Parts: sequence; C-alpha cells; structure tokens
Amino acid sequence: MMSLLAQFDLTPMLSLASEETATRAIGSWAGWIPLFPLIAAIACGVLAYRPSGAKSKRAGLICIIGLGLAFVVSILLALNIGHGQGHVTLFEWIRTDHLKADFAFFLDPLTSIMLIVVTGIGTLVAVYASEYMWGDRGYARFFAFVSLFIVAMTCLVLADNLILMYLGWEGVGLCSYLLIGFYYEKPAAVAAAKKAFIVNRIGDLGFALGIMLTYLQFGSVEFAVIFKQIEAWQASGAEISTAVQTIPFLLMLGAFGKSAQLPLYVWLPDAMEGPTPVSALIHAATMVTAGVYLIARMLPLFLLSPYALPTVAWVGCITALFSATIGMAQYDIKRIFAYSTVSQLGYMFMGLGVLSSVGGTFHLFTHAFFKAALFLGSGAVMHGFAGQLDLRKLSGLWRVPGWQIVTASMFVACLALAGFPLTAGFFSKDMILAQAFVTPGPGFEAIGWIGLITAGMTAYYTFRVFFRVFMGPVSFKPGDDHHGAHDDHHFHPHAPGPAINFVLIVLGLGAIFAGWLGVGGASHGWFGGMVHASSANYEAVHETTHEAGFFSNPHQWMMLASSIIGILGIAIAAYLHLLNRPAAERWRQAILPVARLAEHKWCVDEGYDLLIRRPLRAVGHICYALGDTLIINGLVALAGWIPRLIGAAVRPLQNGRLQGYGLGMAGGAAMLLIIVWWML
Amino acid sequence: MLLTLLLIPTLTALAIMLRPARHAAIIAFIGSMVALVWACLVWNAFDFADSASIQLAASWTWIEPMGLSFSLGVDSVSLMLVMLTALLIPLSVLGSWTAITERVREFFLWLIILEIAMLAVFMARDLLVFYLAFEFTLVPMFFLIAVYGSTNRARASIIFFLYTFTGSIITLVGLLYIAWLQWSHTGHWTFDIATLTATAASMTASQQAWVLLALCCGFAVKVPLFPVHTWLPLAHTEAPTAGSVILAAVLLKLGTYGLYRFAMPMCPVAFNEYAPLIATLCIIGIIYAALVCWVQRDVKRLIAYSSVSHLGFCVLGLAAINTTGVSGSIMYMINHGLSTGALFLCIGMVYERYHTRSMDELGGMARRMPVWTFFTVFFVMSSVGLPGLNGFVGEFLTIFGAFTSGQPLQGLPTTGPLGPWYAAFAGTGMILAAIYLLYFTGHLVFGQYHVPDASRGGGHDHAHHHRLPRDLSLREVVVLTPLAILCVWLGVQPDAILSRIEAPVNQVIAAVETASSQPLAAIMTEDGEGH
Repeated sequence: MMSLLAQFDLTPMLSLASEETATRAIGSWAGWIPLFPLIAAIACGVLAYRPSGAKSKRAGLICIIGLGLAFVVSILLALNIGHGQGHVTLFEWIRTDHLKADFAFFLDPLTSIMLIVVTGIGTLVAVYASEYMWGDRGYARFFAFVSLFIVAMTCLVLADNLILMYLGWEGVGLCSYLLIGFYYEKPAAVAAAKKAFIVNRIGDLGFALGIMLTYLQFGSVEFAVIFKQIEAWQASGAEISTAVQTIPFLLMLGAFGKSAQLPLYVWLPDAMEGPTPVSALIHAATMVTAGVYLIARMLPLFLLSPYALPTVAWVGCITALFSATIGMAQYDIKRIFAYSTVSQLGYMFMGLGVLSSVGGTFHLFTHAFFKAALFLGSGAVMHGFAGQLDLRKLSGLWRVPGWQIVTASMFVACLALAGFPLTAGFFSKDMILAQAFVTPGPGFEAIGWIGLITAGMTAYYTFRVFFRVFMGPVSFKPGDDHHGAHDDHHFHPHAPGPAINFVLIVLGLGAIFAGWLGVGGASHGWFGGMVHASSANYEAVHETTHEAGFFSNPHQWMMLASSIIGILGIAIAAYLHLLNRPAAERWRQAILPVARLAEHKWCVDEGYDLLIRRPLRAVGHICYALGDTLIINGLVALAGWIPRLIGAAVRPLQNGRLQGYGLGMAGGAAMLLIIVWWML
Repeated sequence: MLLTLLLIPTLTALAIMLRPARHAAIIAFIGSMVALVWACLVWNAFDFADSASIQLAASWTWIEPMGLSFSLGVDSVSLMLVMLTALLIPLSVLGSWTAITERVREFFLWLIILEIAMLAVFMARDLLVFYLAFEFTLVPMFFLIAVYGSTNRARASIIFFLYTFTGSIITLVGLLYIAWLQWSHTGHWTFDIATLTATAASMTASQQAWVLLALCCGFAVKVPLFPVHTWLPLAHTEAPTAGSVILAAVLLKLGTYGLYRFAMPMCPVAFNEYAPLIATLCIIGIIYAALVCWVQRDVKRLIAYSSVSHLGFCVLGLAAINTTGVSGSIMYMINHGLSTGALFLCIGMVYERYHTRSMDELGGMARRMPVWTFFTVFFVMSSVGLPGLNGFVGEFLTIFGAFTSGQPLQGLPTTGPLGPWYAAFAGTGMILAAIYLLYFTGHLVFGQYHVPDASRGGGHDHAHHHRLPRDLSLREVVVLTPLAILCVWLGVQPDAILSRIEAPVNQVIAAVETASSQPLAAIMTEDGEGH
C-alpha cells in the first residue's frame, strides 16, 4: 500500500502559496454567499413572530430571493475562480495560544461546485416549498430554518479551517434537528429529530478529536497550512507518524455520522418525518453529502495512511449494499428513497475510497439533482393525496389529470437513479465502479462487483416505486391528513401547482443532462478538470490503462455491464410491479422470513436500543438512585446527624434545627484552633 | 473605584430596608443597574494592555497587628467575573418581579447582599477579605432557599449550608497555614494574596499536597466536583428562580475561581502532580452527572445536574495547565453563567405560570409559548455547545486544552499533565449533553401540549398568576434578550474575552510550570524547615 501512496503526485494542488497573490481579488465578495441567506433567515425569523399574520406569507419570497442571490454569487464565484484558488478572511474568530481559527474562506473549484449544488438546489427547494408549505402555521418559521441551513452549509463548504467547518457542520445539524422536528406536536417527529442530532453528535466527537489531533500534528487547523506540510513531507519522504495516520480515522467518524453510513446511518430514514422539501434539500441533496465533501477536501491527509481510504471504500460499499436490501423491502415511498440516499452516499464514499475522487464528487453532484427530483416528486404525491405514501395504496397516477409533469420528472429521475444509459447517474456511477477495478487495493475488485450488484438492486427498487405508483390501473386511497367525510370516493387529489411543476421540470432536466458535464471521463471532462484543480485531485493511475483493449479497460466495459444490470433490474421491477403484480406477493411469501427482516430494517434500531440506549439509561437510573440518593446523600445525612446527636446528648431540653449546625460550627472552629495550635 | 462598586449595592440594601416593601423591587433593580453601569465604567478604566497585573487597587488598613487590610483590586480574569455578577443581579431582580409575593423586601435585600458578597470575593486582594466574603455568600443564599424555596426548602437549605460550610472550614485551615508559614518566615502577619502566593509556592511538595487538599475541600464542594456534588441538585431544585440563577451563574464559579486563583499558583507542584487525578474526577463527574440528568423528571433538577456535568469541563480545562485549557475554562465560567442562568430563568417563567417542574405534568409548550420556546431552544443550544454560540468556545477549548496538554506540538514540548485520552473521555460528555438536553426539550418544549389542570381551570389562588400573559411578557423578554445577545456575541467574537485574559492565564501557567519543572531537591533545601 505504501507503494500505492507513492504513485500519487500531490504537487499540482499544493502550490497554493504561489497562486495566492495572483488570485487575491477572487474571494473578496464570497462573504455575500452566506450573508444573503443570513439576512433572509433573520427577516423570516422576524415574520415568524406572528405566524398567523398576513405578512408571514412573504417569508417564502424573501427566502427565495436570499437563496437566489447566493446562487448568483456562487455562479459568479465559480466563473471567477475557474481552476484557481482564493482566500478571504472575514474576521478573526478564535485565537488563543497558537490556535488560530478565523472566519475565513478557502476557495477552489471543489468549493465552487459544492456552492452551486447547495445554493442552486436550495433555491429550487425554496420555490417548491413556497407552494408546498402554503397554509402551514409555521410557514415563516420554515423558511427561517431553511435560510439558516443554507448559511451553515455554505460556511461548512467555504471554511478555510477545520474549526469553522465544524461550525457549519454543527449548524447544519441544528437546522436538520429543527426541521425534522418541524411538526413538533408529532411525537415521531420529535423523536426522529432528537435521534438525528444525537447520532450525528457521536460522529462529531470523532471529528472534534480529529481536529485536535490535526492541530497537534500540524500546528494549525487551516487547510492551506496542512496541505503545505503534507507536501513538505512528501517531498522529503519523511516517515508518517502513527498519530498523523490516526487523524483520517477520526475525521471519518464525523463523515460517517453526517453522511449516514454504517454504523451511524440509522437517523436518516427517520429524518423523513420532516417536511418533504427538507428531505429533498437537507437529507438528500446537500447536508448528507457534507461527509463526502470533508473527505474530498482532506484527501491529501487521507492519503497519508495506507488504510484510511480502503476503510472508507469498504464502509461505503457495505452501506450501499446493506441499505439497498432494506430499500427493496419498504413500502413508504419516502423511506425507500431515504434508504436509497444512504446507499448512494455509500457509492460516493466508495468512489473516494477507490481513488476516484472525481467519480465520488461527480456522483454527489448528479445525485443532488435526481434525488431532489425524486423527493420533491414524492412530496407532490404526498401533498396531493393527503399524506399517502404507501406504494400499495397508490397506482396509475400518470392517468390522473394534472399529474403528468410529476410523472415525467419522476420517470427521468428514476432512470438516473437506476443508472440507465446516458442519464446523470449512469456517468457518475460508472466512473466509481470502473475505478474500483483499476485501482489496486485490498479487495477493491470485490467492491466493484458488490457495487455492480447493488446497482441492479437500485434499479429494481427505484422502478418498483415508479411502476407501482405511477403506472398500472388508476386507484388511490387518501392518507391520514384527509379530514373529509372519510369517504374515499369523494376524495379529489390536489394536483401540484405551477411552482412545484416548474421545479420538477428543472430538476428533471438536471437528472438527464447533469451527467454530460462529466463526459470525457475523469481526465478530460469539465467536471474532472474542476476536481483536478482542487484539493481532491489524485487521479494519476488510470490514465495508463486507457490504451489497452475493451475488456481490459474497466472504464469501457463497465458502461456496458452496468447498463445491462440496470436494465435487468428495471425489467424485473416491470414484471413484478407492473405486468404481474400478484407475482410480487408470491415471491415475497417464498422468502418470507428474509423479507420480514428486511421490512423491519434488519432490526438494527431495536438492536441499538437494546444494546446501547437501555443499558446507558439503566446506568443513569442506578447512578441516581444508588449513587446520589442512597450512598452519597446517606453519608451526608449521617454526617448531619452526628452533631445533632451530640447536641441532643449535651442539651436534651433544647431542640431546634439550627442548633446542631451551630454546634457543628463551634466544633469545627475548635478543631481549627487545635490544628493551628498543633502547627505552632 | 472598586470600593464604589461595593458601596452602590450597600446603599441599595440600606434603601430597601428604609423604604416600604412595595418599593423593594424597583430600588433593587435601579441599584443593581447603577452597579452594572459602574462595573462598565470599571471595565472602561481597566487597562487591558496590562491585564495580568492587579489594577484599580485600593487598600485600607483594618487590623494592623494581624496584618489585615481591606484591599481590593482586579486583574482581567476577576474583572470578567465581576461583570458577570453585575449583569446577572439586575436580570434576576427583573426576573423575580412577580414571582415573589411574600416577604418581598427581605428577598430583594438578600439578593443585593449576595451581590455585595460576590463582588467582594472577586475583587478581594486580601486573603481574609476573600474568605469572609466567600463564606458570607452562604448566608443570603441560605435564606433565599430556606424562605422562598419550594416544598423541600428546609432540608435543601440546611444541606447546602452544612456541605459548603464544612468544606470551606477546611479551606480556611489551608489558607491560615500559609499565612502562618509566612509569619514564621518573616515574623509579621500579612494576608496579602500576592505575598502569600509567593510564600506558598515555595513549600515542599508534600506541604503543597496537603494545602491543595485543604483548598480543594472547600472549592471542590463549591464547584461542585464529583463526588461532593449532591448538595447542588437539591439546592437548585428548591431555590427560587433568582436563587438558582445566581447559584448556577456565579456562586459555582467561586469554586473554579478559587481553584484558579489560589490552588494553582499556591500549590503549583502539587497541582501539577494531582491534575490527572482532578481531571479524572472531572471526567467521572461529566459522564455520571450527564447520565443522571437523563433520568430526571424534574426539569430544574435536570438542569442542576447538567451544571455538575458542565462544571466538570470547566475544571478539566484548569487541570490541563495550558493556555488553551485555562483560557477555555475561564470562558466556560462566563458562558455557563450566561446559558445555564438563562435556562433557569426560562424554567422559572414556566414554573410561575403552572407551578410545577415535572415533565410528567408539562409538555409541548411550543404551541402556547412560541417566544419562550425560541429562547429556551436557543439557550439549550448554547448549553449543548453549538458552534457560533458561546457555549462551544468554552467547551471546545477546554477539551482542546486537555487533548493538547503535555503533548509535543510539532516536536516542541508543551505544558500540562493530561493528554488525548482525557479529551476523548471528556468528549463523550458532548454526546451525553445532547442526549439529556434534547430529552429535556423533547418533553418540555415539543410534543403534545399538556399542563396541570389546576392552572388551566384558573382556580389557582395565586393572584399574580392571572397577570401573566400566556406567552412571555415584555418584561420577561427584556430579561432574556441581553443574555441571548451576549451568547451570540461571545460565540462569534470570543476573542473579546480570550485576548483579554491571555496574559494573566499565561502568568499562572508559567508559575505552575516553572515550579513543577524545578528539581524537587532544590525546593527541599530552599525551604527545609517547613515541617
């Protein structure tokens, strides 16, 4: 593995210092990117003060404008940065001893890609939500939280040091908490919000310790300093200490928490309790990719340990497979897509792990479009059918008037998720899977095969939803939110309006065409070029294999293999869920025990509850009942009784509460005198 | 200048005594506001370029033969705590405006007397003045709990008194021993803190260990460190809101301040040696108290236990003996004062409306009290240590200090006896804090709305109850807003404090380091007759 390490040339991305003078002007207005949403957040927050007031309806527009402006600035910034780098300091934040963490931004192509995704999807979701959330009591509150989320997320992406990144990291966690628990009177929502925050915190502890260890080893938490130090080590061929090699593993924990990987993925499916636009924005397109971004950003550091990236690859791979199995067995549309998100995030980690940073980040990019489209499409269904999300109770929606745009965009997004040829997901997934066969590493070929099988499963569960819900005979039952006469025949689905349709069209187009930005492969495409110019650049090996024949070049045969697998998955779904629906139930009966387990998510939640939560709480009860109440307080009570007993013995006629203590004081003072006298 | 800061509350106390009871609250408020303004003037007069040295000093001879003098002075660390005290008293007065209905005059009188004592503790330059003020804080607090507390107040106040008094008597022994040592060296008595610190630092290692033990008895109870923390939940639970606020925000800091001001510089060798032990106690306390928090049904007791857990971080930072840790610890003192004080105020506001603290009876307040919800969630987040708010800076820096303590930084040795493992274990407190605080918000703030029937029916006999609106009144918003603003400001600009306390902190660390890096033999011969 050490030889593998030596193959990567780290020099091109590390020459920050020389370019800094030339690009100083670049970042000067990057501060506006978080500032516009911040202003929007404050304005919406003020409007939320009177939720029933007419003015609170303006919150949607304010949020759209704030986020839209941030998007425009992000685009300008991306154009301005190009393949260069920039740095801008807003103000000094924490400075003590040698520790320096300023509110400063580090700008490179990776930053600008992430910014475009975050602010772009953010704006679209705000437009969507302005219709979707209309009439909700917390309309203004919702947009305040969403704007605040964009503030935190852009800070995370723009940070020039790990501590500021941690600020954004925890900030998005807060917004996630607030938004999952948005319907705060619903116990499930409150529980899910709490779970998300706490599970994330477990990962965050790893992140925090990683930051501290980074500081100890590098004397700084700033990316530029860290990268320069790594470059120096590379140049001198210095031995990399165990401590330095531990850092990636600590940071990894944080990444796995935020990006919902095994064993910390459990919070994401539950997070679907939040409003659907939130699921699309935070729990599919942006926040959950923060872990991927962290590793991509810190890639030079991860390369210092021969075990770090293979670990990332394997965790991603197993998560992808594991959550795909759960996704195949669920009935709630949003849950299926939630498990799919976990699975796709697994692909991204796989990509980073097998040294396809372009593939990993490109999949992040394309996934943002098609997964947002899928969630927003499901949201439209949920909105229109009074909260109905069970795919057994919905069918043939494309024939229902007003649902054609939703169906079309869902179809395109499903194709992209299934990796159908020439859609967005196809290009990015292939890049990752092919690279697994190119890069030498521990079991990387196995990762490639597992990834390929998972791709087939993905195609199956995606089209299971599509064929069930949108195709077939028209039939539907409204969900629990339907407060009519409880007569399903009088239920009229509420077709989406122009704002929702517009957003779905844009995202549908993205699901098709976003992939073309990466055409040309990691080395020649626009996207590859961007990533190569950032700190996530390390693709050097696969170039050499291009000249070989078709079957010996994974980047070529993978396109064919994954197309076949994807179409096969779609075909099975078509048979079981469109052409011969009763067969699906027969198949399920045939493997009933396994199917049941998968439907119950392999009982992971129950296991955690039994093995971690309950014992901890029991310890809490024991500490409180035994430790505090009985032993320690018992001793104190005993100590308190002694002077009282003496008092009772000495002056039995008098009784009063403070007497004993007065005596205790006198006794203490006497003891003091004795001690002092003894010392003299 | 500093004397005036003590005189203002004294005059206020006099005025409260002389005027009728219905004027007590307004006099207390005006008086404490004047004190706050004066404290700001003191801040303005303080020269932060020279923050390590005692400034604005004033001294009056008191009992000459005993070397007692009434001397005051502040360095920047003391000044921060003076500011905290001066800020929280008017807010507590305002917060108790309608909550106290009986014996109003005494209530505000005790509160103002408490302010005098606390200010005197932080400004004292004479050991006995410090100690007297330190002990005297017990008296007003005792009465605040015993008279104005809830059902179990008698037991709470007595345990509070007994516990802390016993501890601090032993502290007095330690302090007197140092004074006696000084007398045996020079032949005349003095209680000047600076002089005695110098004397104490030259003790042998074993003498220092004993003195440290004595000092810790009082200070650790006050902090409170595990396992001498059990008085705190009881006292907090039973105390009236203002009492809880002051107790959490300022009185607990007397313990950490004592450790910082006396234990560290007076027993440097011993402190360095026993810091791992102290840190271990802190970590046990952090985890233990957090787990106990998680099973509470009484919201006030929950926040009380959270103080035990939080203060563990604070002392951990001191035990790290490096700039990051100790600065973080002082940041923590201020931050904990702001956010936990505010949380007690928030709980008090609900208590005043529904007369219960039980999570079984209260829940889902978000629906009825959105403004209150905003503040509560805000301060919970500050308490959880959300970056961008104040709590994060203190927590992160103390853990950071523990982590980097004594570790080679880029090959260069650094100060401190701890290491990454301490930070890793203490860090679990970050997770646990999220667990119990979200458990708290999940039950009290969110979920289904439910309140006790009695208060809903309106059949309650508290006349003042009807005067309170359903959500927060303007007065209550005014109480919480300054704290919220400070939380944001210190979260975004922690440098405002960090840069100002760095010099005195470094001085203390240097004192500990130079003393403990000297060969022990040198100390032994230097001060051979010590025993």
